[in-house]
Amino acid sequence: MSFRCFASVCLAVLATYINLVARAEDFKPVTEEMLRNPPPGDWLNWRRTDNAWGYSPLEQITRDNVGQLQLVWSWAMEETAAQETAPLVHDGIIYLPNSHGVIQALDGASGDLIWEYRPAVTKRVDGSATLASTNQITRTAPELSGAVSGPGVQKNIAIYGKRIFAATGNAHIVAIDALTGKLIWDVEVADSSLGYRYTAGPIVVKGILITGISGCSRYKDDVCFITGHDAATGTELWRTSTVARPGEQGGDTWGDLPLRFRAGSDAWIAGSYDPGTGLVYWGTAQAKPWASAVRGTKGNALYTNSTLALNPETGKIVWFYQHLPGETHDMDEVFENVLVDLDGRKSLFKMGKIGILWQLDRTTGEFINATDLGYQNLLTVDSSNGKVTYHEGMVPEIGVQIDMCPSTSGMKSWRAIAYSPRTKAMYIPLTLNCELATFGPTERILGGGGAGPVRRKNHMHPRSNGMLGEFVAMSVESGKILWRHRTATPSNTAALTTAGGVVFGGDWDRHVYAYDESTGEVLWQTRLITSAQGFPISYLAGGKQYVAVPAGVGGASWSTLIPRDLVPDIKRPNHGNSFYVFALPEK
Amino acid sequence: MKTLATKTMILILGLVCTSAVNVPTFAQSKSSVWDGVYSEEQAKRGVTVYQEACAACHGVDLRGDSNSPSLIGVSFMFLWEDRSLGELLTKIQTEMPPANPDSLPNESYVDILAYVMQVNSFPAGEDELVPGKYHQILITGKP
Repeated sequence: MSFRCFASVCLAVLATYINLVARAEDFKPVTEEMLRNPPPGDWLNWRRTDNAWGYSPLEQITRDNVGQLQLVWSWAMEETAAQETAPLVHDGIIYLPNSHGVIQALDGASGDLIWEYRPAVTKRVDGSATLASTNQITRTAPELSGAVSGPGVQKNIAIYGKRIFAATGNAHIVAIDALTGKLIWDVEVADSSLGYRYTAGPIVVKGILITGISGCSRYKDDVCFITGHDAATGTELWRTSTVARPGEQGGDTWGDLPLRFRAGSDAWIAGSYDPGTGLVYWGTAQAKPWASAVRGTKGNALYTNSTLALNPETGKIVWFYQHLPGETHDMDEVFENVLVDLDGRKSLFKMGKIGILWQLDRTTGEFINATDLGYQNLLTVDSSNGKVTYHEGMVPEIGVQIDMCPSTSGMKSWRAIAYSPRTKAMYIPLTLNCELATFGPTERILGGGGAGPVRRKNHMHPRSNGMLGEFVAMSVESGKILWRHRTATPSNTAALTTAGGVVFGGDWDRHVYAYDESTGEVLWQTRLITSAQGFPISYLAGGKQYVAVPAGVGGASWSTLIPRDLVPDIKRPNHGNSFYVFALPEK
Repeated sequence: MKTLATKTMILILGLVCTSAVNVPTFAQSKSSVWDGVYSEEQAKRGVTVYQEACAACHGVDLRGDSNSPSLIGVSFMFLWEDRSLGELLTKIQTEMPPANPDSLPNESYVDILAYVMQVNSFPAGEDELVPGKYHQILITGKP
């Protein structure tokens, strides 16, 4: 090596070191107080704030100027699994979850890569080499894990102190240095060979990581759960089952089924927190197999399809509310818990696949109201007490076809609602679809079960007018629809509300839309390389407001089976997980 | 206007043609997955491709998961009994993997199909499953 070459290498190493030290000195650890009340330019929780509003208080981008938005930079993401990313932002740095556990830190203004955490033995971001560091977990080899390692989805991550926290596809929770991307600790929470996995990450409350696990559709001698872990060490502090066990309170709601055959209740979406009530709110998924006739009990099957209010320090269930007791069509109610105070009542709003907006008292769990979007044909909810009555002939029997709306894919999915305190409205991404469904049997043996087979023939919702997607604004005060925007393909991103009066969303056909929050007028739109998909955010970097929108593929039947069946003439690339950042032009 | 004789002739020709089309189809449809329609070697290749491309969702034991149906046993037969291998192959090829359908070589899809048959205890035969036959082979319960 020549002296000039040696000197160049030394200078490069020195520059990197100086840069790292400078960043370390500049880095402001994320405190409990910041998590509860994030700086306006930060996006510190998966829906920015504990109340899961998905609302940015930034107002540089307004209804008047949003038409000038321009692409500033973009970034290709991991292609190894479905795109469901929910990024975080702190002090202008984006922490971007990719599939199969990869996390990247990117400069929010320039898009430069700062670090990358890569748990698997795969190519680096530049494709130059492979990485198999001993201090990083190795993704379980497919030939060993297969089903049990899961499809590699990674939705949200968490930030606290100087660490990023993630939950992995092989049922571990990891802590990563937010400055360097180096692994700090790695805790195995459950045995992934039994099917356990994470697709959603933790939230942090009082230094405790609270995380819900998935992978409970098949029969095993245990159930799904939510855990609390010490953020400093990873030590598990508590574990709360999401299924009532035999002999416990509520255990008789599964009839005489032994624990082994009480499946489902996966906690696959991260929860919310209210410092006022001191409670964490977490959703649970439907029972498995989906149809009650197949799972062998017509009981309510607690605590499936419920909202659980947990003490974050003990995991104790303070109250629960089961939205659809004994649910029997795959109508999952696991989704985001949006906390809004309405008419003096501390309320919790939630919408499941069936398209009913529930309002609960989040202090007591008492039912307040239910507003049906009016698209489902399965049941009636008494809006005075929440009592659910299934329509005659709509409870599936094995081998008997029913025409159900929505389809088993649902009207609503993990594409989260956003709330705006300006309009007091929920902005809801939907897919208007139905299905001729015939539910079939499973084997009631250890390792069997699962969701159960369904002979399905999807069709458009009769009121869709041939438009599969709908982005709808609903007043939480009146329950009235303020406006709708129909699209040919599913409304395919989470919603984003902003103080600038602009609401963002995107569809499967690659569009991103900026709406007037009050009228639904499309003020700006653009197209991405593939489906808009994931959780859009807005943040500050260098004092400038940015809007970021993920794109990608996968993401369950909403973005695969449904558009392929119902809008076959509309094509999009079947790859292209990526991330786009927009801003106003420089003055 | 056609005469009665002409109409009769057309009708007869029509019946003959219809029979000509239907008879071979009926004959071919007698073939089922119990007739040894794939080879052990083909299923062996299918194991490798399946584990690489399918197992993450459908499981190493093919029993499926929350968003992916079981490919074995009563659940599989509920979905596929009395349908042809061709239908199953078309579904696999045009829809799988969900994020990138039809991205595997054609032979790999056929190999996966052979592996699914093997796991479901349909017997292997001397010859490999080859193009052109799939739609004449029915998935049926054990005779």
